[in-house]
Parts: sequence; C-alpha cells; structure tokens
Amino acid sequence: MHWHPNPGATLNSQILIEACGCAEALGGAKDGRWKTSIFFYRPMTRDGGAAGAVGQQQQQHPDLPRELLGVALHERPGLYFSIVRAQRLVLQADAAFPQVMEKLQSYKARVALNFEGFQYQLGDFCLRIGKCVPNNSETLRGIMMEVEYYPLSSIEKSRAIMEDFFDIWQETIAKKSLPGHFIHVESNFSDYGLSDQYSFQHTAVQYATCLQQLMAAVRGP
Amino acid sequence: MAPMTVGVAHHDCWSCSYLPLFRVFNLILRVKIERTIRHVGGAMRGAGAEQISVLVRTIVESKASKNVLHYFYTIGYKLDHELLKIGFAFRFHRGAQITVTVTSTNKMAKLHATDEAVPVTPGIQLVEITAPAAADNYNDVVSAVTAFCEYLAPLLHLSKPGNTTGIVPTAAAAAASLMSSGGVKTL
Repeated sequence: MHWHPNPGATLNSQILIEACGCAEALGGAKDGRWKTSIFFYRPMTRDGGAAGAVGQQQQQHPDLPRELLGVALHERPGLYFSIVRAQRLVLQADAAFPQVMEKLQSYKARVALNFEGFQYQLGDFCLRIGKCVPNNSETLRGIMMEVEYYPLSSIEKSRAIMEDFFDIWQETIAKKSLPGHFIHVESNFSDYGLSDQYSFQHTAVQYATCLQQLMAAVRGP
Repeated sequence: MAPMTVGVAHHDCWSCSYLPLFRVFNLILRVKIERTIRHVGGAMRGAGAEQISVLVRTIVESKASKNVLHYFYTIGYKLDHELLKIGFAFRFHRGAQITVTVTSTNKMAKLHATDEAVPVTPGIQLVEITAPAAADNYNDVVSAVTAFCEYLAPLLHLSKPGNTTGIVPTAAAAAASLMSSGGVKTL
C-alpha cells in the first residue's frame, strides 16, 4: 500500500513514525530493518548518453521500451527482477544480471530508489513499513507498507483475510488523524503472465505498481 | 571424481546491429529447463596476454526465467544465430576449479528445431578446458589450467584458441582414456 497525502498536505517522517506506532499498538514485534531497491534503466543512445535527458535528441528506435525497472528484493538478495512495464513483462534473473546489462550497454541504470524501514511480525502477518528515498539521499519521496500473510500462497484464497487485515489497519491508523491515508492498488498479475500462486515475481510487480502510484500521489493531480 | 553432467545445450546467439554479441543458453537437464545468459567479453590483449598460454576473457553469467528470449526481443535484440551443443562435462579441482567439456556443435535449418539438428563438423568434437578466475588470482588459475593441459598432452594437444591444433579422431576415445587414467592418478 502506498501513502496518499491529502490535497495540500506534504509528506513527512512523522507519518512513518505514527504508522510504526500503530503496528506496535496492534501487537507487532519489531523484527529489524528491511530494504528493497528499484533501479530505473533508460536506453543508451548511440553517442553513449542516456536517452530521456532534457534537451537530448531521441535516437533510439521508437518501438523500444523507454524504461526498464530493476528490482532487488529484501528477502532474496540472490535474485534480481527486470520489469518492462510497457509490455507487462517481468524477468526473473539472479544478482549477476545488472552486470550483464552493464556489459551490454543498451540500457543504463540512471536512478535508484530505496524502500526502507522497519519490519514487524504480527501473528501470521509480516508488516514492512517504509519510506521511499533516492539512493544516497534523505529526500522523502513517499511512504508505503508491505503486508505478507505467511500461511497461504493462493492470492484468491487469501483475499478475504487480507481485506480483513486492511480494514483493521485502516481503523487503527484513522485514529491518528493523519493528513492522508494508505491505499492498496491491485496489480494486474495476469497481464504479466503470473498465476494465482504468489511468488517473488508478484512482489516485484507490486513494488513497480506501488512506486508508480506513490509518485503520482505525491506529484498531485 | 567430481560429478559429470550430461546435457543438451540449445544455444541462441543474439546481437543488436551495433552492440556486442551475447548468448542465451537453454540448458535441458532431464525434464527441467533452465536458462542461462552468458556475456562473453573481449579477450585480454597486449604483450602480457600473448605470453600467457591460455585465453583470458571476461564472462558474466546470470540465470534467468524462461521468458528471457521474449525479454531480449522486447528490448530490441534480434536473433543472430542458433546452435545446439551436445556433449558432456567434467568438473574437478586441481589447483583451480576446472571444467572439461567435450562437445559436438550442431546447426538447425529451422528455429528451435532441435530434433533436426545436423553436426557442423561431423565426427569431430571440441574439447575445452576452462576455469573461472578473478583479477587477483588469474595467474594461479592460468598455471593450473596450463599444468592440466600438459598432463593431457600424451592424449591430446590442446592449444590457445586462435592457434591451430591437431585433432583427436574420437572424443569417446579421449574420454575413455581420461577416465581410465583418472583411476590411477588422483585428480
């Protein structure tokens, strides 16, 4: 879920602190830090620069994707995902894949964003509450949270229990009267060729969706 | 003796019009299909490289999910050529983690038509000795590989890629000889 600020409200880390407080109020046990990273790749142009820079001529083929997303998940440091949103494609590879891309020099990673914060164990649930910040910067770009339900892998079967959890969560956080609210936007997994059986590829796609929503929410209408 | 793997490597080569080649392997072992991407960089050059008896190259490999071919098509790559390599590999440690592969390379008239593959050099197989190395230990690895090639010298003459070499009539004879001498000498 990403944090959607109320119109006119700004993001601040107080929201993050309050959200963590809610997790603890619900009985969550703090279980350490987490960090998932997303890398924006842009095509390289023939002259060696990256396409998409202001004032630079677009030299790449018009059919080529203008952006690739690399995702390195906290729970699986040995894996790496590359998502072509425009084509609804998710590739699962291993941690050496960014080196392959570096050698190929067809797309270059331009921006890295980290989702990082604390995680909480709450019964059969794991909550990861975090901020979205550019690599090597503290500028807050967004706030989000990830909820995992351990006992089930079927998305359909776990839908009811996840919705119940979200309802409890929203009630708890509403009591804090914060200037905004958390929103969950469904990712269209079948568009990406993913099945009902949840996997790390699903997580990677959800992070891509969440990032898109989070940035749109902060940019404003 | 370290484990031997037998496999059929279905090997696609990709290129973009102005970018270097890299390879995607579909390695079929039993019923599971794995994909591996291998990027082979240029060879180390210069006077120092010429004096070394082996070829040193940068290789980056990554496993990938089975939609990897579709992925590379999507980001603008085109299939350059496709090969089927059939053979076997030995892996063992002898100063370095050495892999010996004996392969026959086959081509296909139609895309992915592995059942209709035809050998490129009928009756002739390629023996390759490789070992991974890092920047800080490649001299040791070079020595280990060179020493192993010298050990094999009575059986077959191995040379640096790019230099011409003699040909062993059958790889089966080479393998049998390797296995029988492996029983006597500790590898």
